[in-house]
Amino acid sequence: MSTLQFLADGFGIAFQWHNLLFAFVGVIIGTAVGVLPGIGPMSGVALLIPVTATITSGMPTSAAAASSIILLAGVYYGAMYGGSTTSILLNTPGESSSVVTTLDGYQMARQGRAGAALAISAIGSFCAGVISLIGLVLLAQPLSNVAIKFGPAEYFSLMLLGLAAVSGLAGKSMTKALMMTVFGLMLGTIGIDAVSGIARFTYNQPILFSGLEFLTIAVGLFALGEVFNTILERDKEDGAIAKINRILPTKQDMKDSAVPIVRGSLLGFFIGVLPGAGATLASFFSYITEKKFSKNPESFGKGNIAGVAGPESANNAASGGAMIPLLTLGIPGSGTTAILMGALIMYNVQPGPLLFDEHPDIAWGLIASMFIGNLMLLVLNMPLVRVFAKVIQTPKKYLLPIIIAISFFGVYAVQYTTFDLYLLLGCGVAGYLLSKNDYPVAPLVLALVLGPMIENNMRRALTISNGEFSIFFTKPLSLAFLIVAALWLLVPMLLKLKGRSVIVEDEG
Amino acid sequence: MSKTFDRYSSVAFLLIGLLFVIESQKISDSAYGSSVGPKIFPMWLGAILILLSLRLLYETFTYKTETPSGMKLQYKKFFIIIISAVLYAFLLEKVGYVISTFLFLLISFQTMERGRLLPSFVIAAAFSFGIYYLFSKLLGGSLPGFPVF
Repeated sequence: MSTLQFLADGFGIAFQWHNLLFAFVGVIIGTAVGVLPGIGPMSGVALLIPVTATITSGMPTSAAAASSIILLAGVYYGAMYGGSTTSILLNTPGESSSVVTTLDGYQMARQGRAGAALAISAIGSFCAGVISLIGLVLLAQPLSNVAIKFGPAEYFSLMLLGLAAVSGLAGKSMTKALMMTVFGLMLGTIGIDAVSGIARFTYNQPILFSGLEFLTIAVGLFALGEVFNTILERDKEDGAIAKINRILPTKQDMKDSAVPIVRGSLLGFFIGVLPGAGATLASFFSYITEKKFSKNPESFGKGNIAGVAGPESANNAASGGAMIPLLTLGIPGSGTTAILMGALIMYNVQPGPLLFDEHPDIAWGLIASMFIGNLMLLVLNMPLVRVFAKVIQTPKKYLLPIIIAISFFGVYAVQYTTFDLYLLLGCGVAGYLLSKNDYPVAPLVLALVLGPMIENNMRRALTISNGEFSIFFTKPLSLAFLIVAALWLLVPMLLKLKGRSVIVEDEG
Repeated sequence: MSKTFDRYSSVAFLLIGLLFVIESQKISDSAYGSSVGPKIFPMWLGAILILLSLRLLYETFTYKTETPSGMKLQYKKFFIIIISAVLYAFLLEKVGYVISTFLFLLISFQTMERGRLLPSFVIAAAFSFGIYYLFSKLLGGSLPGFPVF
């Protein structure tokens, strides 16, 4: 069957009424998550996994997985739309990928062009979403055809590359990022070893036999960590919200932002495909690029619409691009995609090259639903932008305890143990302390998800080679991955030694 | 960035690394036909973590201390909420989901901001009953709803 045929089948699945509903709910919640400062896409997706798991519990596994991943992915790219709203109206970014939008977006709002800025970022996000999806459709099949030839050695090296990329770019100190990665891998070894069936580090506690649940740790580290942070440090009062007068952008605005949107989309897409680099980096690069290409660079920072259109398109394209390594190689390149991958594994669906053969309904259904979801977001965001601006005003007094209660419910409904609730709280406190002290938690979660797979592939490769470690260096592809992994760690280190500032990917 | 925190944490991670290296020796080597048993991977990880912690410890001696920002942390609120969350976890299976959730929410709403009892009461009740009803009645999930006498 050709790609087009698969895509058509995917649309068949995405157009089932419950999947339409799931995509709709996903993008609405995603927009709210993006608008609310404090909850980023990562904690939003983590919080919703248990909820979707219970809603879909009556369906057959494959359909349930497709529906949940449709909703969760909707939250992910919906958050990219929502993030711009607070940047423009309040000068506080809703999540880190829209930090640069504040530079020109808020200036535009002060000049009374808030509506135009919001509309342009919605249009830009839509174009970017569609462009990155076309890229996804074109690249998915060829990439998974290549990946299917990978042996365990190649997989091991590729996963190391993924971890190296995320650690190399996360946080201010690479030592700390690497420590978090290794610690995540170690947490992943707790429980019964999948290869030999031997219990490791369980100390005869039955609760530990199945290992530490990834969901509990992710929700604790991200959602609760963020909640505790806000409780402890809530001193700053929110500023006044800028008024929205006219929503539709003028013809001149459209003309000025058309090229930045296309440039931002392409740039964002390719940055998103790279492991480790995600939406935040994409928006920074796009802003820099726009400034470089602009005829009057001095107008940036004073309300130039290109400074909104470019970065907002880029961060959305990056979130689409990030789906490629996840779906085709089974390797998440960022914290949020690691959580999406954990969700798929919960349904016994292994992302990777075989996904397109074994579960075409999930892979193509997701891709098709992303088209529909992006369209929904465009239609929703233009008229409803005023409503979403109201969401910003949700009192924290109610919001924070309810987030705690939702995470308790979610974890308990999936795990049915109070042990996980204590673990959740512990991870929440740890998450607060770690991220407060510049220990990035995204690599930890990524390592926890990848850990068992890395170990299995390593051991399979070593079994093939009779324990010779040279297998990782003699296979050309594996060697190439390892070299790139080493470069990914060394290049930022060298840049730092030279005193150059390195932009770090800070997703949360 | 706090130097003291980095020192303590590097020592803590050092100990965790040591623990993994030592404890992984006790994992039996039973996997037949394979030279790579279940203990190799955790042992290496432990060793790498030890090296990284030493590196971090070394770094704490080299970088300058940054003056901590003068923000006052709201410890009181935080501790009340975390303690009530622990109690919530403890009581969840004992008195059931609805009552424990309601109490937890009411206490934390009031901790976040005193006064306006009625809205807190209504929101807490709506959330705990709503989630329970939606989840266990509509979706057929199982939650310990109410205490069993």
